[in-house]
Amino acid sequence: MSEALTRAEPVTLEAIVREGVTISLAPPMARYSLRARDPGALEVLLGLKLPKKIGTTEGAAACLGPDEWLLRLPLGASIAMGEGLPLAITEVSERAVCLIAEGPRAAEVLMAGCPLDLDRFAVGRATRTIFETVEIILIRSGEHRFEFEVWRSFAPWLQLALTTAAGQLR
Amino acid sequence: MSGFRLPQGGRVDRSHAVNFSFDGMIYQGYAGDTLASALLANGVMLLGRSFKYHRPRGVLGAGSEEPNALVSVTRGPGRFTPNLRATGVEIHDGLTAVSQNRWPSLKTDLGAVNDRLGMFLPAGFYNKTFMWPRSFWDRLYEPAIRRMAGLGEAPTEIDPDHYGATYAHCDLLIVGAGPAGIDAALEASGTSKRVILIDEQDEAGGGALSDPALWPWLEESLKDLAVAPNITVLSRTTAFGYYHDNFIGAVQRLTDHLPHPATGARERLWRIRAGEVILAQGAIERPLVFAGNDVPGVMLASAARIFLQRYGVAVGKQVALMAAHDSGWHDVFALARAGVGVAAIIDVRDSVDAALLVEAEALGLAVKLGHSVIDVHGRLAVGGISIARNDGTAVVRLACDALLMAGGWTPSVHLWSHSKGSLAWRDDLGAYVPGEPNEKVRCVGACSGKWNFGSGLVTDSLPTPRDSARIKAFVDFQNDVTAKDIRLAVREGFKSIEHIKRYTTTGMATDQGKTSNLNGLQIASAALGRPVVDIGLTSFRPPYTPQTFGALAGHAKDALFQPTRQTNIDGWAQENGAVFELVAQWRRARYFPKSGEDMYAAVNRECRAIRSSLGIFDASTLGKIEVVGPDAAEFLNRMYTNPWKALEPGRCRYGLLLKEDGFITDDGVSARLAPDRFHLTTTTGGAARVLNMMEDYLQTEWPDLNVWLTSTTEQYAVIALQGPNARKLLEPLVEGIDLSAEAFPHMAIREGRICGVPTRLFRVSFTGELGFEINVPTAYGRALWERLMADGAAYGITPYGTEAMHVLRAEKGFIIVGQDTDGTVTPYDAGLDWAVGKKKPDFVGRRSLARPDIVAPGRKQLVGLLTDDPTEVLEEGAQIVADPGQSIPMKMIGHVTSSYWSETLGRSVALALVAGGQERMGETLHIPMPGKMLTAKVSTMVFYDPEGARLNV
Repeated sequence: MSEALTRAEPVTLEAIVREGVTISLAPPMARYSLRARDPGALEVLLGLKLPKKIGTTEGAAACLGPDEWLLRLPLGASIAMGEGLPLAITEVSERAVCLIAEGPRAAEVLMAGCPLDLDRFAVGRATRTIFETVEIILIRSGEHRFEFEVWRSFAPWLQLALTTAAGQLR
Repeated sequence: MSGFRLPQGGRVDRSHAVNFSFDGMIYQGYAGDTLASALLANGVMLLGRSFKYHRPRGVLGAGSEEPNALVSVTRGPGRFTPNLRATGVEIHDGLTAVSQNRWPSLKTDLGAVNDRLGMFLPAGFYNKTFMWPRSFWDRLYEPAIRRMAGLGEAPTEIDPDHYGATYAHCDLLIVGAGPAGIDAALEASGTSKRVILIDEQDEAGGGALSDPALWPWLEESLKDLAVAPNITVLSRTTAFGYYHDNFIGAVQRLTDHLPHPATGARERLWRIRAGEVILAQGAIERPLVFAGNDVPGVMLASAARIFLQRYGVAVGKQVALMAAHDSGWHDVFALARAGVGVAAIIDVRDSVDAALLVEAEALGLAVKLGHSVIDVHGRLAVGGISIARNDGTAVVRLACDALLMAGGWTPSVHLWSHSKGSLAWRDDLGAYVPGEPNEKVRCVGACSGKWNFGSGLVTDSLPTPRDSARIKAFVDFQNDVTAKDIRLAVREGFKSIEHIKRYTTTGMATDQGKTSNLNGLQIASAALGRPVVDIGLTSFRPPYTPQTFGALAGHAKDALFQPTRQTNIDGWAQENGAVFELVAQWRRARYFPKSGEDMYAAVNRECRAIRSSLGIFDASTLGKIEVVGPDAAEFLNRMYTNPWKALEPGRCRYGLLLKEDGFITDDGVSARLAPDRFHLTTTTGGAARVLNMMEDYLQTEWPDLNVWLTSTTEQYAVIALQGPNARKLLEPLVEGIDLSAEAFPHMAIREGRICGVPTRLFRVSFTGELGFEINVPTAYGRALWERLMADGAAYGITPYGTEAMHVLRAEKGFIIVGQDTDGTVTPYDAGLDWAVGKKKPDFVGRRSLARPDIVAPGRKQLVGLLTDDPTEVLEEGAQIVADPGQSIPMKMIGHVTSSYWSETLGRSVALALVAGGQERMGETLHIPMPGKMLTAKVSTMVFYDPEGARLNV
């Protein structure tokens, strides 16, 4: 075996700063889509607690729908896949990348293209939404810090859109 | 030269002179002036030409209702904006504005001949005259009409400006920062409500700006609002549309008022979701309808007052007032007190409030009650007026250089109407006022009908002794509609205002009839002899005032117009000279030309390489769906036409997906990874559609099934290795998978590792050769591709694109959904009977396959076509006929769906949809082309290796 394959990311690894807002790429991580009617079945299988209210997070898990959770773990982490159980676990680690917008005016950057009311979107909330026409999963990980889970091929567009919006703050 | 700047007064900054140009002449105004106020201050009364008759026009109003004074402003190449209201253009140093709709100049306009031909241009003229012959429309009528009648010119260069956009949320949105809007905002200050107050003007204040007595209150109030932490005031911001659930669109103008070049976005689109909306849009004064009411210098009395109080500009040296309403009297009193000469107050009413008469007398103003203006003298500016008693007697001529009209007030219900609030008619106002709301919204101030600035007489047009069929008394100034046009429409049988509007075009200009709708309604009402409410009401639609396309597009231009999705391997293709094509939102490499190669040479070389040794292809864009759960097989069995329950883990199957109508909508090879886990593939363009369709069935038809769908399209980069040497290249790189033909047959899947990363390795082929599709986590796609390219050099590995892929699959008769099918093709039509599970109790589309039309003979069926001349490549889309001897139009029995030069076979091959095609094997068909008739024989669809010998190696 020759040397290991190297990763190629869809956007630059260097952070971009515009008007005090830093737009950067989060390090790679493991991601799993968890589906079940009964969250208890997933909790027992995985030995973790899942948030029950749509749009909230609990540790590494975000509740995205009545039967849907996104679990983000350190790169390389693997979990039980629950063969034969009435649930579905699918690995989606590389489906998305995570862009981060951070800075005192990060919310304004987000408002350029996201129709959510961010005053009502507290730290710790997570939801599937859009930025203009592109679907994202938005996680508020700090008062002035937003994470955007976005499918890889849309990431360059989103990075440019966020950078452009940040550049237009005045 | 009538208007002039008064020695004092107004809110303009007299210490800050501003130079600007209009029609090439340099003028001076003050900071705070609009183009209209500055031109009036310079004595310029003529600002434009009208739409249809090219009549000279001046300023009618002082705000966004202005129908006449439309100008174009240019700010350099590509920065040309037509149809701006001069009353809303703020002047700045270097402002360059020009008038519109005139040639060769504003004062001498040849198009004005239309005015003299006016009697030949009645309402509906275009409809009546230019209907026939049809062929004249495109080349003669339309271009001529466009040249003669029109507003400003559309810019042709690309707009280099940037436009911003934002969403905003608030508990209370107030539209209009006049006294009523400001009061509403002050009331909410100190509460926890998030309040946004928006106003279209450069300065908040609305009507208070032209009432010096209110200035101290205004200053204090704006200070209070500025320090209120919960209130955001947006000026230069027009709320242009009111949509469902209190969603309001507004455009904020950021740089147009600044000297150029200005930095930053030119405008910003605000998309506001409000808990509650308060509309404080005010009211617009109505003109009066009489002959000559459009001569430059005839304007709304309220506008004259605004020019006086806000800008320190007198609109004339000797003005006259034609009133039907008290408010005009107060406007003229203000002018008189400022030292402007007043020729007379003429009021159509026989009596008015005694207080008005007392004040007029105190100011020494002549008053003519029970009189009306019957003509205005002068063409480019008012030179005088003729008035008469309402019975037509006692005609006298008065000298004046401006005539003010006071016809009463129309509440601005535009946004209220957008929100579908009902309207109620008020006879005393002669106007509609807000009725029942449809959203959480209320109106305050003048737009609610609560303020009427006095009282007045509601009249459709002023009495005149002249023949009303021979005078031009304008109703809609911007579209040049006169009272007689509306009366003509009524005589010709139109009874509804909706029809009258469209026939005469009244209210259909860019101002949407802000000053004309109610006068038009009153005239129609009088002509029909029916009350206004019986004639109907036209509706207002967004935008309230014209907005730029740039603002509506926002960020969506150039690279941000829409995402171009690229695979992990795209960068390699780019660096290696690939020619790309767009497939849905993806861009895909179409072929990889070497220097000197055209597409055909490149594709032929790529095809030869795959058939003889090894090709490599980026298949990452294929849609992928992971179907997981105990009922996964049951679910797929219901979705797809063929049986899925018995498929062994580790094996693949071709899946054909129909819609309920029985027609093919997608296909793809899917694999069973485990009893409860499938890896589906879809077409590139069908990925989202198929997932939606499957979710739809799962959620609405079979919610009992324990199965879940997850899009995994972007989880994997997919590299197809195709050709007899594919296995040899892979063997040393793969761990944990036995690649031998026995252990890993065609249409199978294995999981293991390749070059150290996990892989789902498919043994599948869309080329007819030994083939593998390597799925790896997307981030490693490019690195794996480069490793395969390096190691594959020994086999002459050749990257190929979608074009070679299309050729090779056509040689094997594999269809492409959407190219060989068109939404009317069943599995039977496509020769895919084998993919339909005859014993299955049900699947999506099954019932439709038994419909009489679907089983009837003579349906179009997919077949192969081999041209008699093997070098002739048919055109895709070419029509097919059975008998070339028939007369035109011939009976077309089908068309070519796919056609290529097959380098493998040394001849052309084609697929075609042909009526009864499967019964025509060997038959010669004809393809008429310009100048020639081609012939081809019907064949099976598999042109190469029909036994599949090359696959099973």
